[in-house]
Amino acid sequence: MRTITITPREEFRISVEAENISSDKFASLNIEQIKSLAVWQGNRQKALSDLFAIEGDDAPATAEEITIRLLGDFSSVKRIAEGMTAGLVEVQGSVGMHAGNNMKGGLLSITGDADDWLAREMRGGKVVVMGDAGNYVGSGYRGEKCGMRGGEIEIKGSAGAYVGEHLCGGSISIGGNAGDFPGAANQGGTIFIGGSTYLPGAEMSKGAITVKGEAKVLPSFQKMEIVQIDGVDFQKYAGDLVDNGKGELLVGVGSS
Amino acid sequence: MIIKGGIVYDPANGIYGEEMDLFVDQGRMAEQAKGEEIDARGLLVMPGGVDAHSHIAGKKVNTGRIMRPDDSRQGTQSRTSVCRPSTGYTVPNCYAMGYRYARMGYTTAFEAATPILEARHTHEELAEIPIIDKGALTLFGSNWQVMECVRDKDLSKLAAYVAWGLRAARGYGVKIVNPGGGEAWGFGGNVKGINDTVPGFDVTPAEIIRGLAKANEMLHLPHSIHLHFNNLGKPGNYTTAIETLDLLRDIKPSRMRQIVHVTHMQFSAYGGTSWRDFESKAPVIADYFNNHNHATMDMGQLLFGSATTMTADAPLEYGNARLTHNKWSNHDIELEESSGVVPMTYFRKMLVNAVQWAIGLELALLVKDPWKILMTTDSPNGSPFVNYPEVITLLMSKPKRDAEMATLHEQVPKRTTLAGIERELDWTDIAIMTRAAPARILGLQDKGHLGTGADGDVTVYNLRPEEVDASQDHALVKKALANALYTIKGGVVVSKEGQILATPPGRTFWVDAAVPPADADRLMLDLEDKFAKYYSIQLSNYAVQDAYLPHAKAIRAGLPVEPLPEVA
Ligand SMILES: [Zn+2]
Repeated sequence: MRTITITPREEFRISVEAENISSDKFASLNIEQIKSLAVWQGNRQKALSDLFAIEGDDAPATAEEITIRLLGDFSSVKRIAEGMTAGLVEVQGSVGMHAGNNMKGGLLSITGDADDWLAREMRGGKVVVMGDAGNYVGSGYRGEKCGMRGGEIEIKGSAGAYVGEHLCGGSISIGGNAGDFPGAANQGGTIFIGGSTYLPGAEMSKGAITVKGEAKVLPSFQKMEIVQIDGVDFQKYAGDLVDNGKGELLVGVGSS
Repeated sequence: MIIKGGIVYDPANGIYGEEMDLFVDQGRMAEQAKGEEIDARGLLVMPGGVDAHSHIAGKKVNTGRIMRPDDSRQGTQSRTSVCRPSTGYTVPNCYAMGYRYARMGYTTAFEAATPILEARHTHEELAEIPIIDKGALTLFGSNWQVMECVRDKDLSKLAAYVAWGLRAARGYGVKIVNPGGGEAWGFGGNVKGINDTVPGFDVTPAEIIRGLAKANEMLHLPHSIHLHFNNLGKPGNYTTAIETLDLLRDIKPSRMRQIVHVTHMQFSAYGGTSWRDFESKAPVIADYFNNHNHATMDMGQLLFGSATTMTADAPLEYGNARLTHNKWSNHDIELEESSGVVPMTYFRKMLVNAVQWAIGLELALLVKDPWKILMTTDSPNGSPFVNYPEVITLLMSKPKRDAEMATLHEQVPKRTTLAGIERELDWTDIAIMTRAAPARILGLQDKGHLGTGADGDVTVYNLRPEEVDASQDHALVKKALANALYTIKGGVVVSKEGQILATPPGRTFWVDAAVPPADADRLMLDLEDKFAKYYSIQLSNYAVQDAYLPHAKAIRAGLPVEPLPEVA
């Protein structure tokens, strides 16, 4: 196992694009080479070591064998672990936008919060956030017809609007509340929301959304039977009928 | 400039792979010249490529961009000291349009469809497309004024309107898309055949097409009418194609060229009664073209992968949107047209798409005379133009076609004749289909050839035509075609091995056709009435001002002027 630790040298007032912080990018490089990887801060290109202190095992290893530890505040650092296929990125702190986007494998774990577009268009692997996440968790970026296609996202806290928009596969679980329109245009993924939300599943054609708390349901969903899961009653709905949808929406009954 | 020792293909001048030196002086081909020497010894040399049908500028393209930020993210390239940034794949930004054509060795491309009302937007974008020369065809097929003139059998007024419309749009030629259908779509309908009546106008598509073809010849326009058939994209539509072509057989051309150019023929060569029994009728269409000389066509080749369909055939786009559940833009252009845009992905394993792919190739291989068929993809409807090298290599290599066929739906050999076609096009055929013929069909006298006085647009490909076997080494050929060794535009090396070196602004061609003043006066009474009653814009604000064409090249045509010299 090869471990590399990265710490910000300062509090970033201008955000940093750091798609090079990923186990795949580090795999074949020694520490000196990792230090000279490019990052952009605003409109300036810099070396990774200009902005971060980097230390750890020098010898290259495969992506699976790599653990990257990010210590400190990365909330202005974007695109961490982008496109990662294997290995572990462990953040003790919060991350900026687009963390884990296009991830294909491995584990991204974040003890703090994640900003918008977490794991957008993810294909595989797992993302765990102990705190809250911003808008568009696991969704498709602007114009994209397919968001997340596979893998697993777990947010222990709450999430913003448009969780799993254009979801095509995989599963997203939100421990707390989710903002407006979770699972909009869902085409086959599953979403679980432990708390409450507003207008889930708009335009969904397939897939499933479960809301344990309260949810305002669109009038284009057809009310079905009451189902019981683990002793809890859920009202089942089918929809979204405006899109001839075959999706399943479950909303908790007990809590309201 | 001297381009030394290339193996030159200049079919318009009867040169088919001869080793020779070429000279460019003050931007034009010359007998002698001094200056920069380009070493082209043993390499393939052709005139700069000419694309007679591509969607490169204007409202439809821009709607595609707005609808597809996902597309914009593909193909992004940072600026360089010479280039501005590029974005997009099927709907690139304006700059990328110019750079990408130039890299492939193309120096001219014509935007295929502009409503007069939206021509200003088209020219704003054309002006921003660097390097290449361009022009825009103007839509007339569902235009109220056109239909009224046709209904009243007032051909001279129709000709006056076409001339006025081209001038107002700074347009190059007469484009007709699903004639009458654009008007019917305003009421949610369509015309189902060439003898259907257009609602509210008491005219048929057949009458509109004949009327515009005659007006086109009365005006001696450099290009013929440029026609997108009715029923395009529907199973069984090859009968509409043949019927429409037969309509025009008796019209006399005013120049040595076709009477009608049929665009993206692939989409109109369909048999079957539904998508279930859908099959190719390319052999029937090719036969027709082999036996008649009044029509030319372009392929409209479809390739697998991402495309963005965009056309003034709005009912077709409605069908596309319903079929794919994809995003859909629908647009009404007042008294002139309707249009639509729908993103599309074509799949190898989808039988319909695989048959469409084969039909385009069948057409190009079964039409014997390469002067009658242009290589196009109806970019970006069938595929974006950057994939032309793929189309060319498919036409030049039977083994490549066979290898592709093996990856397609297994019904393709039953529904098309492609598997049995042995023909492989050679460099002369390709030089004709991508250079000489599009220039001749458009009536661009200084394009598509390398004779003295022609535009100094020359492409040198890093290929040795005397050594390379395009049939076997198709991968090598494709690579060489994608990035020309040298693209020379007006005597300037604009691209070298895929690197853009210079970005001179291209010119915009338009046709200024004169008509008898009496006809123009009669027309103006009609127009004043229409603008007062119906248009959302004043007549005085309608026409594109010269300021929008900073590098305009007007070509004169029309009645009182001398008939233009005929194209060789
Ligand atoms: Zn077209």
